[in-house]
Amino acid sequence: MATIWDADEAKSSRASSRETAYTVPAVARPVTVRSRRRLGPGPAIPFGLQIGPALLVLLWVAGSALGWIDPRILSAPWTVIEAFGRLIEQGRLQDNFVTSATRALLGLSIGLVIGTILAVTAGLSRIGEALIDGPVQIKRAIPTLALIPLLILWFGIGEGMKVTTIALAVIIPIYIHTHNALRSIDSRYVELAETLRMSQKDFIFQVVLPGALPGFLLGLRFAVTLCWVSLVVVEQINATSGLGYMIELARNYGQTDVILVGLVVYVLLGLVSDGLVRLLERRVLSWRRTLAS
Amino acid sequence: MAPHSSQLKSASRTVHVRNLMRRFATKTILDRVDLDIAEGEFVALLGRSGSGKSTFLKALAGLDYDVEGTGTLETPGNLSVVFQDARLLPWRTVIQNVTLGLPGAAGQEAGRKALAEVGLEGREAAWPNQLSGGEQQRVALARSLVRQPSLLLADEPFGALDALTRLKMHDLLRELCARHRPAVLLVTHDVDEAIALADRILVLDEGHLIEDLRIDLPTPRDHGDPRFAKIRTQLLSRLGVETHGRRAA
Repeated sequence: MATIWDADEAKSSRASSRETAYTVPAVARPVTVRSRRRLGPGPAIPFGLQIGPALLVLLWVAGSALGWIDPRILSAPWTVIEAFGRLIEQGRLQDNFVTSATRALLGLSIGLVIGTILAVTAGLSRIGEALIDGPVQIKRAIPTLALIPLLILWFGIGEGMKVTTIALAVIIPIYIHTHNALRSIDSRYVELAETLRMSQKDFIFQVVLPGALPGFLLGLRFAVTLCWVSLVVVEQINATSGLGYMIELARNYGQTDVILVGLVVYVLLGLVSDGLVRLLERRVLSWRRTLAS
Repeated sequence: MAPHSSQLKSASRTVHVRNLMRRFATKTILDRVDLDIAEGEFVALLGRSGSGKSTFLKALAGLDYDVEGTGTLETPGNLSVVFQDARLLPWRTVIQNVTLGLPGAAGQEAGRKALAEVGLEGREAAWPNQLSGGEQQRVALARSLVRQPSLLLADEPFGALDALTRLKMHDLLRELCARHRPAVLLVTHDVDEAIALADRILVLDEGHLIEDLRIDLPTPRDHGDPRFAKIRTQLLSRLGVETHGRRAA
């Protein structure tokens, strides 16, 4: 013991003598300006993320006000706001919004449940994997759009076809990311569970599922985006209601302002739903934040 | 093997190993290993890297499914393993990690007590990655302790800790073992750690146990004690390290 302490002391005294050797010339020529360049991108700009979009809107306002932009190509911001008010007054926007949101949520929920069940089954058992993984990978290779003709033959052009299309699209990212996360649970934790003699049930609910949660949530973020994309597709092909239908109709009549209202609503829906998933992620994965904060 | 180990009555021994062989492909990792560990005995297993000490510990823990092997192996049902990494589930709080798989309020209470014993009272709700390396390893000790094992297997448990933390952990482990009296097999490559903690030191070399040394020094043991230094020299030479003309520490 004593020798260890001695060695440490000797090391520290040596270190301090070296330090003094360095400080002498530093005092002799006082260099205060740090000339070395930082290699990182530097500190974050306040409201940095909002600057780009704000600039675009400003360009739009200026372009429309100065007459650079033909209103037939792109309506002026105020025209769009007027159209927004008009559509709400007529009740068209709300109705179409509710129709679209119902389709999207229904498709998302069904896809979420099926995707999760498939992923957990394939992730936890070899037989499940043998039966499920192949078909899902094949489905993944088929673009959702290409399935629509078949789905129309099967389900008609009603709500069933639309919800099924969205659900089929959503299943894929949920399955892929959850299954991958389940399969990449650290084998050291499996070893641990074995030495602790955990039951199968405890192992699944304490180790496997919570461990795969980050993967599931990543899949959910992709799924939410895909759900809106598929919604647009089904509503523009065969629909008599919904936001996509409203936009299609406006195209027929050349109403650029109504098209823009529809697009703005899509933007808001996309941003809000992504924000909600991220909020969920933050709450559920609070154990991850502790390192960053 | 030393006579005392084979003469143990089966009632008082915790581990009984005879003729244990383990091979990976064509390479023999453990070659006819015999070992008895008595109840409450603290055994340290020294060996160079590649000597087969981790394979031996895995065999005792029953974690070597894919390995070819033969031999007699008797271990108690309630054994517990402390790994080199603390191996805490990052998505479970400290208390949840300690009581993993233990049912009910009794488990909670035992977990709280075990945490207090390793000096982590009040940290129950913390996440593992909020703790330092030494604290994480203490949680791992509490997780083993709470199961009241009759055999504790430790695979270089302090190998990843800094020297000062390691000395503190030695004191803690000695204290806990004195109180709970499990049989211990501590795998380590640190000769000083082995001498400081163990009742008995084994040296494994290329799959053979080539040394079985009883340590009768009083505890706590002083690293500066000349008897300590003598044992160290003896063990280092068994490990193939020449200490001739070298300073003790």
